[in-house]
Amino acid sequence: MKKLAIIGFGGAGYCAAAAARECDPDAHIDVYTDTDIGPYNPMLTTYYVKGAIDYDALFPFGSLEEIQKKLKLQVYRDTPVTGLIPAEKAVCLADGTKRAYDSILVSTGASAFVPKIPGWDLPGVFKMRTAADAVHLKKMLEEGKIRSGLVVGASWVGIKVLEDLVERGIDCTLIDGADWSFSIAVFRETADRIQRDLEKKGIKLAFGQMLSHIEQEPDGRLTAVMKNGNRFTADTVAICIGIRPNVGFLKDSGIAMNRGVLVDEHMRTSAEGIYAAGDCCEAYDIQSGEQKNIGVWLNARKQGAVAGANMVGVKREFGGNALLNLAHYLDYDFISIGDVTSCREEDEVYEYEDERYYFRAVRGGGRIKCINMIGTADSNGIVKSIFIKSFENSAAELDVSAVCYLRANGFPESFIEFIGGKIVDRA
Amino acid sequence: MMKYVFTFDPNRCSACSSCMIACTDQNDIDLAAGEKCYRKTYDTEIPLDDGKVYCAYLSTACMHCDDAPCIAACPVGCISKDPDTGFTIYDNTNCIGCKSCAMACPFGAPRYRKEDGKMVKCDGCYMRVKNGMKPACVRACSFGALDCVPEDQVTGAYSDKACNVLINQAGLRRKAH
Repeated sequence: MKKLAIIGFGGAGYCAAAAARECDPDAHIDVYTDTDIGPYNPMLTTYYVKGAIDYDALFPFGSLEEIQKKLKLQVYRDTPVTGLIPAEKAVCLADGTKRAYDSILVSTGASAFVPKIPGWDLPGVFKMRTAADAVHLKKMLEEGKIRSGLVVGASWVGIKVLEDLVERGIDCTLIDGADWSFSIAVFRETADRIQRDLEKKGIKLAFGQMLSHIEQEPDGRLTAVMKNGNRFTADTVAICIGIRPNVGFLKDSGIAMNRGVLVDEHMRTSAEGIYAAGDCCEAYDIQSGEQKNIGVWLNARKQGAVAGANMVGVKREFGGNALLNLAHYLDYDFISIGDVTSCREEDEVYEYEDERYYFRAVRGGGRIKCINMIGTADSNGIVKSIFIKSFENSAAELDVSAVCYLRANGFPESFIEFIGGKIVDRA
Repeated sequence: MMKYVFTFDPNRCSACSSCMIACTDQNDIDLAAGEKCYRKTYDTEIPLDDGKVYCAYLSTACMHCDDAPCIAACPVGCISKDPDTGFTIYDNTNCIGCKSCAMACPFGAPRYRKEDGKMVKCDGCYMRVKNGMKPACVRACSFGALDCVPEDQVTGAYSDKACNVLINQAGLRRKAH
């Protein structure tokens, strides 16, 4: 009987357990989690805050009890793993316990990064990642004392926290250290439109502002002080400047890491019998061919399922990451497909704008490098699909149904041509 | 598990839209309110490199992929496979309208319903099929272009018409403008 350990129990950990159980009904599976709740989806936290879902819906696979029973798992609750010994394939716990396994999965996820600047822990300063963060913010908002808010970080989380506040009529300012919003994912030209549209909704913006520290005013309000001396004061401050993989416990393990644990297409780490999946790992990115940390729910689930099967000897491969960022908030949506930082001045640029859509796309070296689209949510999957196909075949084109769909949705012919052109019949 | 598949023969389709009307009726889709039908027909012309024109007549909806990417993409777990029919079905009670399913779908099948902020899609009329009936769109198709049959009946010449076979085919030939 194979003996498996899963360290961390989010989307990746759950899918690994489910795949391992499906492939090997007899395997012994131990799960170590530093919480006493089931796997939840961090993306859902702001939806719970706004009341779109109940607390239970944060847990898409059910409660920890239900999962434990269904998948026949031995779950160690509130039991963080403090170290890992690859040569012995052993996990170490805080009380000195050491347990050896046939294979181990690291699926510890990521945490919201909050720099320990003065004032980071003042009451009213908050982050958004965990179920507890969501409960805390919802309670704070329901008390009705918040009239104004600062959101530090024009990130994917930051924009959703902003939505939670704005929808409750709270006066908001969005602050970021970069010169434009979503700077690592979108073109400046796209950001200009996003920012213009945010301002139309009454949101104040402040970019190029690096947070120095947070002070509490005599009346209890909070002032975020910037490195350039600018001061922004409000009732509450959200810090949403990014996430960091939870890999600190591996620092003495010798396992190869960058930001996250480096894995191959089988989700194997550099240590035999040790796997990693989800937001804590760096899998291959199909665009650059390099390992990258791309923390997306779908990736985490797929990677976990691949790791779980491989851990019990059923060979599976993860097809690779692609940079995809979809944001929707306040009746607005945009998507960035591909790596904006890979674009060069000499590349071919496409731009189009009408009353409904905005497109900006870049081609270089015979391939699409990055596509930004505003207002296209229903059609995003078709465009994403051609982007992914273009890495399998740089001459990939859109088939008739895709062309029909995009035309019917008002996409310009010039964009269809730019992303690949049309093919009309089958060989 | 009995698995059903939709089949589509483009040579029999005239894009008459009877299937769309049946889908609209079956699913109580309020077009006047801006809702979109789950099935969509197309009658379009695509100019070819050789100066000719390709006339496309199509009826499309969810392909009910074997390994449907929308299922894992949904952050709330709304989408699943119906064990009796193999169709990709959903319960959007907890849908947050995040459009992750639309981003995952290469065919644009999930649609956002602005009225309640939830996603909706073709569920293959799985309740009809479970009760021995054809899906509404199939029943309305006068030309035999659309059908829905148990997978084990998709054989021979008809096998290349099965939607989830079509989606796996590659190798495309004639270049259009």
